[in-house]
Amino acid sequence: MTPRLRLLLPPLLALVLAACAPAGSPSPSAESSSAASPSASAAVYPLSLTDDAGRAVSLAAEPTRIVSLAPSNTEIVCAVGACDRLVGVTDADDYPAEVSQVDKVVIAAQVDVEKVVAADPELILAAGNELTPSTVITRLADLGYPVLVLYPESLAELYADIELVGRALDATTQAADAVSDMRARAQAVAEAVATAERPRTFYEVAVYQGTIYTAGADSFLASLLSIAGADPITGDSLTTAIQLEDLVAADPQLILLGDAAYDASITAESVAARDGWQGMTAVLDGRVLVVPEDPVITRPGPRIIDGLEALARAIHPELFE
Amino acid sequence: MTVTTEVLVAVADLVLGYPLPGGGRREVLRGVNLSLAPGELVALLGTNGSGKTTLLRALAGTLTPDAGVIRYAGRSLREWRRNELARRVAVLPQQLELPLGFRVSELVAMGRAPHARRLFASTADDDRAIARALFDADATDLADRPAEELSGGERQRLLVAMALAQEPDLLLLDEPTLHLDLAHQVSLLAAIRRLRDQRGLTVIAVLHDLNLAAAFAPRVAVLDGGRVVADGAPGDVLSADLVHRVFGVQVDEARTEGGRRHLALHEL
Amino acid sequence: MRAAAVTRQRFVTRPSLTRAGLVLGGGGVLLLAAMLAAVAIGSVGVGIGETASILGRRLLALPIAETWSPAAETIIFELRLPRVMTAMLVGGGLAMAGTVFQALLRNPMADPYIIGTASGASLGAIIGILAPLLVPALAVGAGTAWLGLGMVQALAFVGGISTVLLVYAVARGNGRVPVVTLLLTGYAVSSVLAACVALLMFVSGRALGAIFGWLMGSLAGATWPSLAFAAPLLALSFALLLVRWRRLNLLLLGDDQAAHLGVEVEREKLVLTMLATLATSAAVAISGTIGFVGLVVPHLLRLATGPDHRLLLPASVLYGAALLALADLGARLAGGIPVGIVTALLGAPFFIWLLRRSRDLGRAASA
Repeated sequence: MTPRLRLLLPPLLALVLAACAPAGSPSPSAESSSAASPSASAAVYPLSLTDDAGRAVSLAAEPTRIVSLAPSNTEIVCAVGACDRLVGVTDADDYPAEVSQVDKVVIAAQVDVEKVVAADPELILAAGNELTPSTVITRLADLGYPVLVLYPESLAELYADIELVGRALDATTQAADAVSDMRARAQAVAEAVATAERPRTFYEVAVYQGTIYTAGADSFLASLLSIAGADPITGDSLTTAIQLEDLVAADPQLILLGDAAYDASITAESVAARDGWQGMTAVLDGRVLVVPEDPVITRPGPRIIDGLEALARAIHPELFE
Repeated sequence: MTVTTEVLVAVADLVLGYPLPGGGRREVLRGVNLSLAPGELVALLGTNGSGKTTLLRALAGTLTPDAGVIRYAGRSLREWRRNELARRVAVLPQQLELPLGFRVSELVAMGRAPHARRLFASTADDDRAIARALFDADATDLADRPAEELSGGERQRLLVAMALAQEPDLLLLDEPTLHLDLAHQVSLLAAIRRLRDQRGLTVIAVLHDLNLAAAFAPRVAVLDGGRVVADGAPGDVLSADLVHRVFGVQVDEARTEGGRRHLALHEL
Repeated sequence: MRAAAVTRQRFVTRPSLTRAGLVLGGGGVLLLAAMLAAVAIGSVGVGIGETASILGRRLLALPIAETWSPAAETIIFELRLPRVMTAMLVGGGLAMAGTVFQALLRNPMADPYIIGTASGASLGAIIGILAPLLVPALAVGAGTAWLGLGMVQALAFVGGISTVLLVYAVARGNGRVPVVTLLLTGYAVSSVLAACVALLMFVSGRALGAIFGWLMGSLAGATWPSLAFAAPLLALSFALLLVRWRRLNLLLLGDDQAAHLGVEVEREKLVLTMLATLATSAAVAISGTIGFVGLVVPHLLRLATGPDHRLLLPASVLYGAALLALADLGARLAGGIPVGIVTALLGAPFFIWLLRRSRDLGRAASA
């Protein structure tokens, strides 16, 4: 099942990339509510939507100029085929390659409101949970721009967000295709690991000033680890921190180093050398793995499925040859 | 002694105490009676802690009595607004920490504050009063000097000028000679006497040197145990007996060549 | 000297009109230049001609043909102009409050926050930032407008004022509030609140960036509605404080002597404290705790104006306003960093210079 899935990846990706084409011709529809079914490619403006922050957003017409304030949002826009409508992105955006040509309106995580205004957007996609500061969101909304705040905390919510963006951009077909592809791949992973034993897994997000940060309880990352066939050890749901003694008590069988993707000095050896970590089963068994795919694992966009598959490979190497 | 029915300052049964940090009160003034006619010059004497400064501050309105009444020009002090009072009563403090950067003339000008009529500017009356105050205090030559550069004696002249700028009727002096050498002590008190004569001021001065007080003031009031125990001309009041009773010190009464009584300490 | 000749002598009793003219005139020119520069310059280039035309049309209702893009007009009129005006009002308010507290507390190290405004406002703001995250029902539209303020700003304002009221009430004994007691109580209360702030920051998680940005002080959130809230309060406190210059001068002589010169000392201290706190709280509510302006501007100006508040107060408003407008321009050009960082970078070296200068002067004086 899985090897065939992997064979299907390139054409599926190609399909997704190929979907970055102009939207299809409008079909007649009298619908103007947010309950448009995924298969109806109707001209549905003016449109009322509710975003992840519970805000009601109205779109008077199809947005042709889009500003994205987070890399994940940029990828979602491209996934539904509207890449060419982007007029403002962040300096952290790195996928797909063509967004490097787009003006940067967010530099070093600071939203430059003047640049956003200068880009003259018809839709702004912000990130929730203060990743885009709420003061900025308020500011832009008060200036009259439609701002959609996206903050998925699970795969199901991510699919809903992609469909939301698809509705907003009148690209519901492309959105539905992207989502069903993601669903299928996630399902494939879940089925593959269904009967396997779940190792107690610790995913290291960061260790900073002696405080250990990992997946928070009930977080998106924790759910991905579960789907990938692990029994995740989680931290505090608010601060995502975990005390070393709690980690030692939980005794992980597998340690995944997400922070190693950004810091070459973090390796299996360096972790094994840490005070108090030597006794952990994962260290003793040598199951400490660097996860270079952390950037896509922690970016709530369409490529998160790549991350999910990478996690599954790391957790259950025996199932994914 | 002129008998006058007009009274400028009248203190009746004044009682004043301070709360102690550990609880309770320390009674300082226990029923003070004192009255002054306009133009009188009185020296207040007594031991440390007898309440001289307390009485002065009560007269200046900065301490509220527990009992008794201070009347000024017939009106109870309680009825006077601060600004009103400051137009009539000036205080020459023992010490004043002068803020940096002001010239002498600017500080003297602050004495005009109670009379201020215009929001941002001063009037011709103010300028006149300042000029007169500097002249009367013998401080005209100091006018442009930065106040922080003054010597002790010069500072005293500045403080006098500040008080005079208020154009007061009553001048209260709180141990004005404390930090001065003899020469300056004498010149200050002589100047005060002169001013009293020229401007018709009423003066109450807290002093600690009995002989100096006798030379300076036509009337002395001695405080002991929170009450006025002697009040009158120094020649009548300041006796060896009183000094022994109040200060616990043995002195001899001597006569100067001019016939004034002088108190001489025994050899220690 | 004869009496008539005596009283005709005129002594210098105030800063000369020349000096006043130079200082205030210079301040006015600087402020105007700062305002023009700050509106015309930003991360998006809008030509000077276009800027002037937009302002002329929107502010003066001049009949100029609209040749510019709506984006340019939004940038100039909705983003930059309110931000620059907020910078001016906040800078002037903080400088004035700093001047008042330095006189009131007879302490050259005093700044507008010294008796607790900053810590109280910070606590209020952080509660405002965290509450919607903990109780999602409170995140109504990310910024409910209360009198033009969001929840964070309203809580900051209330926090600042109520803290000072608390400090004042605690410091009062026997109907008097000695200056030293006020200072120490302010310090004590500030310390407690700062500890609460630190604790909340520790558990703040994702909101830490927002909290830190607020604490550093920033004018990025300046809007016409928040300006409409703060401007009347600041204007009122400017007016009421400017006319109190005499009493401020007298308070420099000490509580006792000020009373002897006609000042209702306790009442005046309360009025001055509350007016300065009103200005500070209004400023902090809309821009966070911007440091150094309220401390450094009065110090610097006193070198030029002398300690007479008749000139020092209005000068501090003008130069404080100009300084913050320019600092905010710098903050914008440096990539949108909080303006509090710019004022700290400018203010700290200056402050060290000032300390060394006064130390050397002190040494010379006691030599």
